Amino acid sequence: MDKTLRVVNTLKKGKLIEDYAIAGGIAAMFYIEPILTYDLDIFVILPREMKTNQLIDLTPVYDHLKKRKYKWKGEHIIIEGVPVQFIPVDELEEGAVRNAKMITLKGVRTRIITPEYLVAILLRTGRKKDIVKVEKLLTQAKVKTAVVKKIVRAHGLQNRLATVIKGMHE
Amino acid sequence: MNKRSSVSQRGKTSTVRKTIFRQKKEFHQMQARLSFAEKIRILVELQKIARNIKKKDIFVWQI
Repeated sequence: MDKTLRVVNTLKKGKLIEDYAIAGGIAAMFYIEPILTYDLDIFVILPREMKTNQLIDLTPVYDHLKKRKYKWKGEHIIIEGVPVQFIPVDELEEGAVRNAKMITLKGVRTRIITPEYLVAILLRTGRKKDIVKVEKLLTQAKVKTAVVKKIVRAHGLQNRLATVIKGMHE
Repeated sequence: MNKRSSVSQRGKTSTVRKTIFRQKKEFHQMQARLSFAEKIRILVELQKIARNIKKKDIFVWQI
């Protein structure tokens, strides 16, 4: 995966994206026990010029990757053997990217969403598998409760968090 | 089995269950503390298992 991240870093260096962070199952797995997932989700903040008239255009990113001979498989682009999905951020996710944690994987510097933002994002998505991840994060990771509460309050997710916590104690 | 031994048996079962659940919790927490690189290695093994079980078009990371 380090090779994949090296390629993703070239997108930022080439100013095709403003910033990015690892999200989804892989981000969760950074903090919790290994879980089965099939792709690498990358949240991307696009440069202002790529967000015209409220339209989000990932074409420059895909063109760059196509030039490097990376191929599509369904909704993923396979970069150095890993199916990657680039996800342009919304407001909550932008906060997650801007506050992401810097890590190093086999010498490659990258950024990964904090467990506090992951909890909020997973609560919002709210599928059964997301709630399982929230429970794992709350029991296996060092999650700053005050920070989670602040994020979920800002995005109206307090009730969802309360329901999950209640369910964990039943 | 009289009432007293039944209560005692239940107590033993409860202790055994508590020990099992504590050990399970410790195991999961230990797994959570593995290095990221090791977790990725395990993930690829999980993908291989899933492909073998489901016989579906599951893409195993080629890393």
